[in-house]
Amino acid sequence: MKDWILYCALFAVLFSATVQAETFHTDAQYCLVCHGSNAQGNEAISAPNLAILPDWYLSSQLQAFQSGWRGHQSTDAYSKEMMAVAQSMSPEDIKRAIGFIRGFQVSKTVEKVAGDVSQGKTLYQTCAACHGAAAEGNQTMGSPPLAGQYSWYLLRQLQAYRSGQRGSAEKDAAGALMKQIALSIKRDQDLTDLVAYITTLDIQKTNLQQTDIKK
Amino acid sequence: MTEIHNKQLSRREALLWIGKVGGSAAMLQAAGLFGLFATPVQAQAELVKLKPLTSGPKTVLILGAGISGLVAAYELGKAGYHCKILEASHRAGGRNLTIRHGDFIDELGNPQFCNFDKDPDLYFNAGPARIPAHHTAILHYCREFAVEMQTFCNYNKNCYTQDDNAFAGKPVRIREYEADTRGFFSELMAKSVQAQAKLDAPFDDIDRQKLLEFCRSYGDLSSDFTYEGSDRAGYQSGGILSPGVLKKPRAFADLLQSNFWAGAMHFGELADQAAAVITPVGGMDKIVDAFLSRLAGKVQLKAQVQKVQLLPQGVEVSYWLDGQLQVEQADYCLNCIPAQLMAGIENNFPADYVAVMKALQRGKLSKIALQAKERFWEKDQIYSGISWTNQDITQIWYPSHGLFKAKGILLGAYSWDPAISDRISAMTHQQRIATAITQGAKLHPDYGKYIEQGNSVCWQRMNHMLGCGAVWSEDLLKSSFATLQAPVGAHYMVGDQVSYHPGWQEGAVRSAWYAMESIQQQEHQKQRQVAV
Ligand SMILES: Cc1cc2nc3c(=O)[nH]c(=O)nc-3n(C[C@H](O)[C@H](O)[C@H](O)COP(=O)(O)OP(=O)(O)OC[C@H]3O[C@@H](n4cnc5c(N)ncnc54)[C@H](O)[C@@H]3O)c2cc1C
Repeated sequence: MKDWILYCALFAVLFSATVQAETFHTDAQYCLVCHGSNAQGNEAISAPNLAILPDWYLSSQLQAFQSGWRGHQSTDAYSKEMMAVAQSMSPEDIKRAIGFIRGFQVSKTVEKVAGDVSQGKTLYQTCAACHGAAAEGNQTMGSPPLAGQYSWYLLRQLQAYRSGQRGSAEKDAAGALMKQIALSIKRDQDLTDLVAYITTLDIQKTNLQQTDIKK
Repeated sequence: MTEIHNKQLSRREALLWIGKVGGSAAMLQAAGLFGLFATPVQAQAELVKLKPLTSGPKTVLILGAGISGLVAAYELGKAGYHCKILEASHRAGGRNLTIRHGDFIDELGNPQFCNFDKDPDLYFNAGPARIPAHHTAILHYCREFAVEMQTFCNYNKNCYTQDDNAFAGKPVRIREYEADTRGFFSELMAKSVQAQAKLDAPFDDIDRQKLLEFCRSYGDLSSDFTYEGSDRAGYQSGGILSPGVLKKPRAFADLLQSNFWAGAMHFGELADQAAAVITPVGGMDKIVDAFLSRLAGKVQLKAQVQKVQLLPQGVEVSYWLDGQLQVEQADYCLNCIPAQLMAGIENNFPADYVAVMKALQRGKLSKIALQAKERFWEKDQIYSGISWTNQDITQIWYPSHGLFKAKGILLGAYSWDPAISDRISAMTHQQRIATAITQGAKLHPDYGKYIEQGNSVCWQRMNHMLGCGAVWSEDLLKSSFATLQAPVGAHYMVGDQVSYHPGWQEGAVRSAWYAMESIQQQEHQKQRQVAV
């Protein structure tokens, strides 16, 4: 370990003398490589649907990845990938990316999730307080919309909250709350039922565009 | 990890193992995807035969300038089709990527420019590096385009094997390890043959004496069939002006303690890796250059495909170019975009076709290359070849070219284990280089002293690839290969992903040939219908 730190220090010196890559990509199409040509997400890459997410949430999550709240403790390679990308983005890149994503029509993939929808509906009552009755999200609470998101993504996030890989960062207040809630869901089957219910919900026509994304 | 050491895995089983296990044997099995494991290759000798187009002007859009796309544009062009390649990247070639001074390494979140010195010998093949003789399709183009070739050394007895769990972690020359294991193994065999008056069925018609002689020559045994060391292991001292002194054989138990025998020891036996394999002089991308010089004006770079629509006749493709969406139609479309990315691109394909793309997994491979200011390995009597270690870096490659030059590029890490690739990809470039140096130092003391700089390529993070190649599970191959290979309307998926040999350019070339012959048939049928 000591050696390693030593080499890092050594290389920091070596590398400063060599060419450093700037962000080569000025275009936001970059996002579409993983998240799909309409920012609708891509299961094969494990990339979630971005088109359904409002500006404020995209912005907050990009910042979360940048600061390492998301991705840092994580053991899954996907959030590490996103963390690396977010960390290479300037504030202008972030603005441009969000503006670009807003240009796509919101769409949802029809999924069949093996779970008890009515049981999931009951369980969802707890979620509704923050995420809204139609899972449309609530900016004041820092809760993203869930309707229209992929089941595998929702499930992975619930598991990440439960294991503490998400929601443990000091400044992540909304995440900490979500972690508590996720921990209170004890059975794996409950997670599946919950997600099965959420995937039955239609996308709500809310205003995804927000001017005060700095907040 | 332990069970599979004792078990011979078939290639199909090996596909299933990927992602499930680590360790050197598992690593080698996973490498089966890259043809590294003994695959029964039905050497296909036939070459593509496209007849000149006679059914009027036809247009073809080719998505992706991978080897398959380049082959398609070249052959179809020769036959009279109007072709255009749309390539999302700033460069053509796809996974056929050679990195030299100043090259942009387009890794998501980790963009970098290659910091090697400007010198034609200082490069590394980040993707394909070698071609076996029976890959007749890709070699057909090397011959046709007069691409200058050289041999590439996969196996050099003077390289090292190093295992943290054996020989106190000290490196051992492969020649010594192999001579001793063979010696002990032959002695054991000879003893058991001697102990039996007559061999049992099914070996009962074997000439016992011949078998004993075989053991002797195979293991270099003494007259009484014991192994007492061999000059195959290299001399301890002397041998030229004084008598050679043999090395004391290592204990068989110690040899077995190392993981080397479980995989890497037999690397040079594999169907696609056995000597002699060859490679273009100056870098694998000389093949790409040769195609590009014959495709002037036909390759549109930085054109990211956004949508593919099947029309009643032909195909419509939308793509981003300079921030604008462009739309184009063609009679046919050949598509080598990695399936996992195509699954996220808008289309009106049949659901079962897209389902296969979604089911294909992203393969993971990482390479780290290091520039050495001195070719210290040559002083250690290593000229080309591969050393093996059970650390994450897995391999060190010594260049097969530029012998006795001042500097050289080592491949300081090359792993096929997805878990290792995850660990490496999660690091910054600097951390990757530092890790490669720390681990390499177990094979070469003072390693760090010689390394000036390095570059890394993690394929699962490379822009427009997001994987090193398609990973087919055994079940998926059985149930769905035909679905992905068959055209939907005028659209064909191509690339090594649509072959039983993913991870080899041969698969890419032959998939393109397959699709083009199918297009030719479609044209033929249309003509016949018109005639009727
Ligand atoms: C580490 C490694 C080692 C290998 N070793 C060997 C070896 O020793 N020998 C050997 O023969 N083979 C080897 N291979 C395999 C070889 O590289 C491949 O078989 C071959 O290059 C694949 O060609 P392809 O035609 O399938 O296309 P690819 O190379 O996969 O090209 C796909 C192209 O599509 C483009 N694209 C992606 N998205 C879009 C979009 N939206 N719009 C437009 N274009 C897009 C990409 O930029 C890319 O250029 C190796 C591969 C790797 C990764």
